[in-house]
Amino acid sequence: MNSVAIELLAPRYPIAWYPWAVQYFFLIALSYATLWLAAPALIFGKKDWLPTARLALLACLSATLVAPVALLADLHQPLRFWHFYAYANTHSWMSVGSVILPLYLFSVMGLAWMAWRPALQANREAPGFLGFVSRWISLGTSPTPKPLMVVTGLVALLFSTGIMLYTGAEVAIVKARPLWNTYWLPPMFVATGFITATGLMLLLNRVTGMKNQPVNSQMLKIMLVATLAAAAIAAAWVLGGINDPQGSVAAAIESIRYSDSWRATAIWGSITAVILFVGTLYLLVSKAKRPALHSWVWLLGLVAIHLGWMFRWVVLMDVQHVARNSAGFHHYGIPAGSSGLLGIVGTFGLWMAVMLLIDLFVPWREARQGGVATDVSPVIDADTVDTETRAKQDTNAAEGAPSHG
Amino acid sequence: MDFMRRSLLGQLARLSAGAALVPLSSIAVAGINAQPVRREGDPTKRYGMLIDLRQCIGCQACTVSCHIENDAPLGKFRTTVSQYEVEDQATGGLATFMLPRLCNHCENPPCVPVCPVEATFQRQDGIVVVDSDRCVGCAYCVNACPYDARFINDKTQTADKCTFCAHRLEAGLLPACVESCVGGARIIGDQLDPNSQISQMIAEYGDQLMVLQPEKNTVPQVFYLGMDDRFVTRPVAEAALLEVLDDQGKEMGYEFRGH
Repeated sequence: MNSVAIELLAPRYPIAWYPWAVQYFFLIALSYATLWLAAPALIFGKKDWLPTARLALLACLSATLVAPVALLADLHQPLRFWHFYAYANTHSWMSVGSVILPLYLFSVMGLAWMAWRPALQANREAPGFLGFVSRWISLGTSPTPKPLMVVTGLVALLFSTGIMLYTGAEVAIVKARPLWNTYWLPPMFVATGFITATGLMLLLNRVTGMKNQPVNSQMLKIMLVATLAAAAIAAAWVLGGINDPQGSVAAAIESIRYSDSWRATAIWGSITAVILFVGTLYLLVSKAKRPALHSWVWLLGLVAIHLGWMFRWVVLMDVQHVARNSAGFHHYGIPAGSSGLLGIVGTFGLWMAVMLLIDLFVPWREARQGGVATDVSPVIDADTVDTETRAKQDTNAAEGAPSHG
Repeated sequence: MDFMRRSLLGQLARLSAGAALVPLSSIAVAGINAQPVRREGDPTKRYGMLIDLRQCIGCQACTVSCHIENDAPLGKFRTTVSQYEVEDQATGGLATFMLPRLCNHCENPPCVPVCPVEATFQRQDGIVVVDSDRCVGCAYCVNACPYDARFINDKTQTADKCTFCAHRLEAGLLPACVESCVGGARIIGDQLDPNSQISQMIAEYGDQLMVLQPEKNTVPQVFYLGMDDRFVTRPVAEAALLEVLDDQGKEMGYEFRGH
């Protein structure tokens, strides 16, 4: 018997996780991915990677500090956060995560402190507030032992894998949301995390004025690998689920088939991914032929950041709009208040403020694998150094790279 | 999608790398996402509900009485009755289908193990409750329930849900929805007592009873009699019209929009 049905009466089911969750997943992914980008130089002592590591550490610490704020804000009872520790358990991925997160946070803070300490010590005699802050943060003039930094770094890397695992598993185990319930979601979070992080690095390399060419080419290579990994994960997800009438692939196909906004999102996401892949590949192969193009590489960085953020928005917000108990899709505007727009803008604002504070008081451009203050030229001489660097950059610019921004 | 199911891609799927990861992931999920030990409540009882859809007229008396009894915020419901108009395409005949929804107090509740602070738990009598003094309002359980039975209570900022009116059961009363049902469609009782009405009806109707979304393996303890299997999973239907606009394009009759 064929029949058609109209749902006459059903409640409006609101979303339960707000855009704060997107901000947390975005920042924590940037955090762990940039930690791995800082690792070659700061943990494993690869000198070629030092400029990359310096930028990556700035991104890593700032994202690591702000991410938990967004997470806390997504709780409806944020002041009860201590309940996580008073009633910790082993059956909830979120509880497991609440233990890993502070351990990860402190290990990253420890690593950053050690990497920046020699330069901070060099600034102890700087006049005014800068000297006061440097004296206060650097905690004495003793040398920073390299082995201690290596151990701290390895611990941070270990906890970062815990973060990758728990953030992915926490979402992927939810059977009630078929679109989340796939083993391919956690690796996709990681792959898109690296895409976003490399994109951020391209952008930071430009806006901090470092304009370091090896950083760009290292980042483009990693971005290409991450993009290919994401494509492979997406392909495996589709292949693995196409036979299952109930799984997440079926749910995705159904969403795209019946919802205009899902269709638009799918098309937009695919186009962005293709642009990113083709752009990265082109910049890598045309390196020698078109040097001028490389000064615009930060634009590709913006595309990558957009892709990473959008993926998290679609997964965490849009999926909550797919009705699971009633017919159709729920449509919600993003509210203006703290459970919407204000939360998104506020998190980015806080993140920027943290980066600016670090830039103001910490000589992050001098980050190194431990050592003593005399390894670093103090900030008093920085003016001459800066002039020299600028002169070099100007020469580079005169060679063909257009100056902009 | 038939052509795709038959396709070579589909066959390749069996060989995909995903299969290799499955056993490993299953171990992790079994270890971490397992049901915690039940606590509180009477271990000699197992509450359940049977809803005789043949008796339901969709009057929403249960919705209203529950709302008043449990002081739920406007726009959010511990129980409600979904209503559908079903048209037979061959004859053009119309029928209305009523589907009361509430927490299923599942035998394998997916909302319980996800709770990071064990604020939501299953009592030994099977009732799933929330300790609102402990709940941090992370809303993980709200997302984990496939039945949309949970919500964040705007007044308490914690997770809220049907408790089978445990406070009334303990006082020897029936839940508000059962008490107010004009057709006597809702039957609550102890499934461990062979003489209870629910036990006798389960024995009598056995195979005719259905539960919602059995494929989710939640083992619901709210049983439907006179159920149409097209509504067991998410209904294939034209969605409810949630927004009625006036001449100026402004929403009408939904004063608590935003809740």
